[in-house]
Amino acid sequence: MRTKDLAVIGLMSALIIALQLGLSFLPNIELVSLLIILCTVVYGWKTLYVIYIFVIAEGFIYGFGIWWINYLYVWTVLMLITMLFKDQRSPFFWAIISGTFGLAFGTLCSIPYFFIGGVSMAVSGIISGIPFDIIHCVSNYLIALVLFKPLYHLLELFNQKLHETK
Amino acid sequence: MKEGKYFLKVFLGTIGLFVLTVLLLYLFINRDNPVSYGSKKITIQVIVPDEDVQEFTLYTDAITLREALDEKEMIRGLNSSYGFYITTVNGIRADETREEWWSLTKNGEYVEYGVDMIHIQDKDKYELTLMKGY
Repeated sequence: MRTKDLAVIGLMSALIIALQLGLSFLPNIELVSLLIILCTVVYGWKTLYVIYIFVIAEGFIYGFGIWWINYLYVWTVLMLITMLFKDQRSPFFWAIISGTFGLAFGTLCSIPYFFIGGVSMAVSGIISGIPFDIIHCVSNYLIALVLFKPLYHLLELFNQKLHETK
Repeated sequence: MKEGKYFLKVFLGTIGLFVLTVLLLYLFINRDNPVSYGSKKITIQVIVPDEDVQEFTLYTDAITLREALDEKEMIRGLNSSYGFYITTVNGIRADETREEWWSLTKNGEYVEYGVDMIHIQDKDKYELTLMKGY
């Protein structure tokens, strides 16, 4: 791995952590999903490093609870879905993907509860979390729709400048 | 033409997401109907001598055992100065003239409190046994 890659991974991780903390007072309104999509579109598999730096940092900030186990795979799921459609540049397309991810977030996070408390615990968790999933869906959809294009161009510009410098 | 197809796809994708959201919202609003589960799962055994043991699994959000059993209309009884006294379980009435009464145990052990004083927890198991003789 080159020094430039390390710098990009560090910067992207710091950006995601800072934005997550900055918006943490808003329930399920976040920029993490969009940044992971953008990072995957621009940097591909290197996003895995960014995701796990973010996840470990979140564990140190908020404590390593059950939610942390969810974080170990949910963001990777989003990255893998993004990898499948990496060539897409339409903000509408990414709004739909990001919105669907937001809607499925509670269900994805309920997987550990299947093993802890069985089907009833997982199902009741999913149902009680539906309002938060809907907020997550709508906010992810709108954020991706509005911010995907400008942030993608900004990231591409940054990437171009980085590779021009020796 | 190509652009028209693209916008049709986007439109259908957005509509699909909207329909899914509405369906989930419907599920949330109707979460108290019989298909939804409570957060606690408890097991109740009804034991009547010389009959097969009946076992019931209840999913409930009730706080006390009486509330959970009342939700399923499993018990009837009388309020007394000592608390709620169970007279009927699952349609089977204890016949006082034959000195019958309902005993409540948790995992086979006698419970010191009345059914309306017991705070249930997930995975609790209770037995209601029809006893004879005081």
